[in-house]
Amino acid sequence: MTRKEHLINLGYLAAFLAVLTVLPSQFSVYITSFIMFTMMYVVLALSWNIISGYTGYVSFGHVLFYGVGSYASAILVADHGWHWVPTLAVSALVGVVIAVAIGFPVLRLKGPYFAIAMLGAAEGTRVIVTVWDGLTHGGEGISLPNVENSTETYIAMLLLMVATIAVSYWVGHSRFGIRLNAIREDELAAEVMGINTTVYKLAAFALSAVFPAIAGAIQANKTLYIDPETEFFILITITMKLMAMLGGKGTVIGPIVGAIVLYSVQEIVWIRFPQAHLIAFGIFLILVARFMPRGLVGFWIDRGWARKGMVH
Amino acid sequence: MALHKDEIALDVQDLHKHFGGIKAVDGCSLQFPKGKISGLIGPNGSGKTTTFNLLTGVTAPDSGKILYNGENLAGLKPYKIFRKGITRTFQITRIYREMTTFENMLSVAGLSIPEREVRQRAEELMDFVNLTGLRDEYGGNLSYGQQKLLEFSRALMTDPDLILLDEPAAGVNRTLLVELLKHIHELQEQGKTIIIVEHDMNVIMNHCEKIFVMDYGVKIAEGLPEEIQANKQVIEAYFGHT
Amino acid sequence: MEKSEVRSIYLLAGFLVFAYALPFAVGVWTDSIFYDRQWLADLATVALSGLMQGGVYAMFAVGLTLIFGVMRVINVAHGELVVLGAYLTWVMFNMPEWLGIDVYVDPLLSMVVSLPLAFLLGYGIQKLLLNAVVGGPELTPLLITFGIGISLVNIVEWIFTTDYHTIPYEPDAIHLTASIAVGKNKVISFGMAFLISMSVYIFLKVARLGKAIRATAQNADVAMVCGINIYSIYMITFGLGAALAAAGGTLVSIQFGFNPETGLQYTVVAFAIIILGGRGNFIGALIGALMLGVIENLIAFMVPNGSAMVEIAAYGLMICTLLIRPRGLMGAKEG
Repeated sequence: MTRKEHLINLGYLAAFLAVLTVLPSQFSVYITSFIMFTMMYVVLALSWNIISGYTGYVSFGHVLFYGVGSYASAILVADHGWHWVPTLAVSALVGVVIAVAIGFPVLRLKGPYFAIAMLGAAEGTRVIVTVWDGLTHGGEGISLPNVENSTETYIAMLLLMVATIAVSYWVGHSRFGIRLNAIREDELAAEVMGINTTVYKLAAFALSAVFPAIAGAIQANKTLYIDPETEFFILITITMKLMAMLGGKGTVIGPIVGAIVLYSVQEIVWIRFPQAHLIAFGIFLILVARFMPRGLVGFWIDRGWARKGMVH
Repeated sequence: MALHKDEIALDVQDLHKHFGGIKAVDGCSLQFPKGKISGLIGPNGSGKTTTFNLLTGVTAPDSGKILYNGENLAGLKPYKIFRKGITRTFQITRIYREMTTFENMLSVAGLSIPEREVRQRAEELMDFVNLTGLRDEYGGNLSYGQQKLLEFSRALMTDPDLILLDEPAAGVNRTLLVELLKHIHELQEQGKTIIIVEHDMNVIMNHCEKIFVMDYGVKIAEGLPEEIQANKQVIEAYFGHT
Repeated sequence: MEKSEVRSIYLLAGFLVFAYALPFAVGVWTDSIFYDRQWLADLATVALSGLMQGGVYAMFAVGLTLIFGVMRVINVAHGELVVLGAYLTWVMFNMPEWLGIDVYVDPLLSMVVSLPLAFLLGYGIQKLLLNAVVGGPELTPLLITFGIGISLVNIVEWIFTTDYHTIPYEPDAIHLTASIAVGKNKVISFGMAFLISMSVYIFLKVARLGKAIRATAQNADVAMVCGINIYSIYMITFGLGAALAAAGGTLVSIQFGFNPETGLQYTVVAFAIIILGGRGNFIGALIGALMLGVIENLIAFMVPNGSAMVEIAAYGLMICTLLIRPRGLMGAKEG
């Protein structure tokens, strides 16, 4: 991609952000919160995409990082009286440390085994959080001090989304990203062609864990109440996965599009039919996996509306 | 006709690799001459590809030494061996199918030159094997021969000193083969060492300066093409026993 | 019996001796409970009910391992099929009452209806959704069965809500001694599990169709060349796996409470077992199931706050196996 194209993309992003920054003063609380959660899902889908879309290690348990991030922040705010902003750094750190600790053994597994091991890791963490009530208040959850911070959390989420998009853009247009792709395509060949796959996979995994951890922390301070069932809800993993796949995994724009489309549909239409919405979710997952494995962006590329490949 | 130490590119000493009860490589010693094209031949299942896998770290040997510039490579991880300047292609090409030709080239790691020069080098190599026109095409959409060329040129990205080619002629048409062999000779003229595993005897006999023959995991003969052609043991290995 | 099967029996026996000796040794070491007769009786009870529970787990795991062995597909919706089986049994159990008739349908008898239904469901899923993707990228079937699982849970939840249900069935205990007792329902369910898994095992070994299934598992290409219609084998296998899951559901329903969301837990349990036993290995799945049952019950007994930890036992076991011996206890060397 030429410098000019990069600049044009930057321009789009800046215009988009300018609009988003002005919005909270213009709209109702409901709309502001709707946009904030859309941005959160953009963050989650993009993060999942780094390990699963680029590297091909499909995680069925990414909610794990979101959950530990929100818990780290909530514990510090509720039990230790921290201001919520510095806790975000702690959440990020906790996310990375856990990603490395879990990733080191689990990334040795391939394909379905990695997927299920991550599912197990997320569920296992939920159980530990529930049991360890000295630290986490167990199943009854944590209530955070009631402060009005919807504008601040909105801005924080916006900044986090900018950071996630920037990092994803870098991954999507650098040799780092290409090497992650090489691991996805043929891990042995990648290793024979000089890529230290262990290090690259761990780096991608840590990168894909840090943003959900922060997103979880911001979310906890927005909703002001968390418990293990909602913070480690398997549906969050499914949602980010489906968003990235719908838009097109392994691309930058795909998960963004997928998150916006799916979250809007979810909020506007499906929320009125809670049970039917989840059934439809399952069916949707089947259809996307079966008929549109490369998502909307793949569809565009096949029609020549977008260029193949990440770098040109 | 022992070679002087300086004339040896890769010195393989008493290499062993067993898979369960099968002795894939069973005490093989090979000394590949520097700056020459060597051939490694043998009947099916004689351990040639396993030897390649051992040399490039894909599988770790049970015992034995692989000396390269005075350093033992046995048991090192593939990416480390690659970074020492040893590269390879595979019997069945292993290019990245859902990445473009250009991305396949750029994926190679271990180059310590700036990004601009990497791209330039990729462009030059694609030009070298006439793939420039397919720069932004997915690897999976290339013809088999083009995929072989892509894999070959990808292997040259780091400017390696030692190039291992696993059956470069298999599945490649005549025209392309001639072109490929021309590239191989050009690389040799640049002073690189090349080792070829190949079933096509024309390629081996007409293009290799030294030939090693393996059977049942051990070296049974080595020498010049003429010597190998006249070697009774070799003929027996290919046609004699059942 | 093959050599490996004989070895597996020794393996299980060895494990059981170890599993019973360990708490015993801890008891001696901590010098607190060794002479307490009640404690010893409790340990025996726990160990026994662990074995019984393992029988139920075997039902889940055998179906999953069969599907994996033949198609290399991990059926993430397996636990949901178990739950579906439990609900079918529950519905049939209560149906006469809803209709105003004062009888109960015996849960074991209801399998006559629920297993064929589950078979048809599995057959249909394979035919409509999975046949086209078997042999392709291995994650596609994973995602598809995941989607099936989500839809299934929520359909069940829609109809039956998230309330827990149980079926009161033979609640009396069988007393082996004055202080060692096992629920009669557990013994019956263990017996059923044993009967069903042995029938399936013999079917695979002896019947023509069973041999065709095994041939397809060994090498689908060769099986196809030999005139086996591998796609119909796939459909039958998935149907069989689903029926086994539903049988597991019936056995669950007569001794545990269940609700739609317990399915995920069963999937993980079954998956952990086939990892432990060796993927695609029938005997390995049986052994792994019994082991997991015993381990879980021992953890609940020995560890403080153990009943919550039980939920992680399967994950822990799975991850340990994958790291220490990825091919599992009985798995083939390659892979």
